Amino acid sequence: MRALSAEEVLSTPFPGRPTKNIRPPSFDPWRIWSAGRELLRYRDLLVTLSLHRINVRYKQSILGWAWALIQPLALMLIYTIIFSVVTRMPAEGVPYAVFVYAALLPWTYFSTIMTNSATCLVNHSGLITKVYFPREILPLTYVVAAFVDFLVGALVLAGMMVYYRVPVTPYALYLIPIMVVLSAFGLALALFLSVLQVRVRDIGLAMPLVMQIWMFATPVVYPLSAVPARLRLYYDMNPLAGTIESFRRVLLQGKPPEYSSFLEASIIAFVLLPLAYLFFKYREASMADFI
Amino acid sequence: MHALRLDHVSKRYLIRQAHVDAAPVGLLARLRQRFARPHVFWALRDVSFEVGQGEALGIIGPNGAGKSTLLKLLAGITAPTSGEIAISGKLSALLEVGSGFHPELTGIENIYLSGTILGMQRQEITDKLDDIIDFAGVRQFIDVPVKRYSSGMVVRLGFSVAAHLDPDILLLDEVLAVGDAAFQKKCIDRVMELKRRSTVVFISHDLAAVQQLCDRVIVMNQGQVIYDGATAGAMSAYSALARFRASPPPRTESVAKTAEIVSLEFIDGAGQPVQMVKTGDALRIRIQYQARVAVPDASFIVFFYGADGALHCQFTTWLSGETADLAAGGGIVEFSCEELGLQPGSYLIDAIIDQHGNHLDWQYRCATIQVNAGRNVKGLFYHPHTWRATSESSLLLEENLAAEPRNQV
Repeated sequence: MRALSAEEVLSTPFPGRPTKNIRPPSFDPWRIWSAGRELLRYRDLLVTLSLHRINVRYKQSILGWAWALIQPLALMLIYTIIFSVVTRMPAEGVPYAVFVYAALLPWTYFSTIMTNSATCLVNHSGLITKVYFPREILPLTYVVAAFVDFLVGALVLAGMMVYYRVPVTPYALYLIPIMVVLSAFGLALALFLSVLQVRVRDIGLAMPLVMQIWMFATPVVYPLSAVPARLRLYYDMNPLAGTIESFRRVLLQGKPPEYSSFLEASIIAFVLLPLAYLFFKYREASMADFI
Repeated sequence: MHALRLDHVSKRYLIRQAHVDAAPVGLLARLRQRFARPHVFWALRDVSFEVGQGEALGIIGPNGAGKSTLLKLLAGITAPTSGEIAISGKLSALLEVGSGFHPELTGIENIYLSGTILGMQRQEITDKLDDIIDFAGVRQFIDVPVKRYSSGMVVRLGFSVAAHLDPDILLLDEVLAVGDAAFQKKCIDRVMELKRRSTVVFISHDLAAVQQLCDRVIVMNQGQVIYDGATAGAMSAYSALARFRASPPPRTESVAKTAEIVSLEFIDGAGQPVQMVKTGDALRIRIQYQARVAVPDASFIVFFYGADGALHCQFTTWLSGETADLAAGGGIVEFSCEELGLQPGSYLIDAIIDQHGNHLDWQYRCATIQVNAGRNVKGLFYHPHTWRATSESSLLLEENLAAEPRNQV
């Protein structure tokens, strides 16, 4: 073993201590790897902040956790009254209430992620300008919190399916990859939009309107089969159409998902996610200067 | 071996909008502003230095020197425009206490929240929980939402979490001035304890605080390092900087300088020029002026600005009701004060020649003076005073006593 020169000794970091290098931001794809490792080191913050999101939301409210149920239930009631009492909507052989709730549930999950996380960085500007932590934790905690709400809502769906005697088939296992794709797509957009919102505040303002339009452009309150063939092309461009429709199909109809549209949604989600993350990390470096 | 190394670090800010109130109203104007060529401002220019393991480095400089930018870069809050910073070991920044506190959460919940935001693991917090609560002295209220806390309790809890970080490198801002006197002492003791174990970088504009804590000082000005070395030399570098800073004095441009301040000197009780005095010492200020023409009815004003930028005190000829008639040519005006009332700290000086409300000359931040603690004086300022003791039996002698010299404090 050769002896180290004085210069090498000086430039050698302490053994066993992490060395961090702060450099100007770049689009180096290796950033995903190092950022992911750093995120892993901060997992306790992710857990604590997510718990905090869930806890704080219902503190000092009388109904508390019931609010996680009230929202999708109320929407379900409204749409059921409109589309099965006022006018009739085809529901593919199941009661309309179950039919609409089975799509409202994943839709609410997605739209909650979008509306909350678009403004999350700006809302935490006090934190961002004072402390360093991987900023992607902020949108991630909103995904986790929305997922907890989703699980609570899923209990109601399970109850409704038992009540209306809707049989469950092994195809329901497809729900797992469907939720993974939906989460990945939601997270990708959340990362992208939250970081844009830092410089262009119009994003957060436009979000509720965009989500409203997007919901009616997605087969939530109506089945995909009711869409005229000439409009199907637009539905194929909407990755949520395939995802939400598949969610309902595998659960209520006991059929496999529509493979082509689900595959398309998966590809879009998993190509978008690393790109969005890279973009987020690139902009993260100067976030505190603009916020 | 270094704990911290900055290698030609520069930071550029692009400013598109000077004032928030000046935001354009129309859509087109807004778009034009967004895509306009931004104003470029270099907050840091080619800064390089190393901090060795176990060293305590102080960084001082006037406002706008780039101290806060440097702090943000070291803490990882923002990235440099060019250059590289290498940090070896765990760095913790005490920039603002109570970062990430949420009013609805209880004390305990906030300890976990703030602790993890500052980079601790949950297990680590659980291990230190008792220490953190006791240090803050809020044990009875630990299960109460923080919004019910007094502001002092919040600050104490916030500092307590931050003080238990156990970093390899501790980045300190001016956060030591929190809580009451007893808690402040606890904070300083804690920092001193941390200093024995870790590398400290202390960023401040309070020279006295830096001198107390650091062995080495970097003086910054306009984004550059202008001095790097022992604490003693930093003082004179900082003073010289304040004296020669070419900041335009406000409101004087339109008035021709018929009279000008040439120099300003502080002189102690023994008649020696000084840059450092103690609270309660005698002090004289000698101002040398040069008048181009005869200036009747002139008055002289000296302002003392504290490190916080607030005006702490003024010396003036104006209040005496008498004015100075300056003849053409040079001259000297001397203020003297038997017992200085200013509390310890460093002060920046403005000197002004005034005539009927027109400032003939305004020397902006033309000198600095360091006031050190004399005897430990509490309160906002020291007030010269005398005292005497009287026993009942000697009340009869009252009249005699009144004539006798009193005891000086």
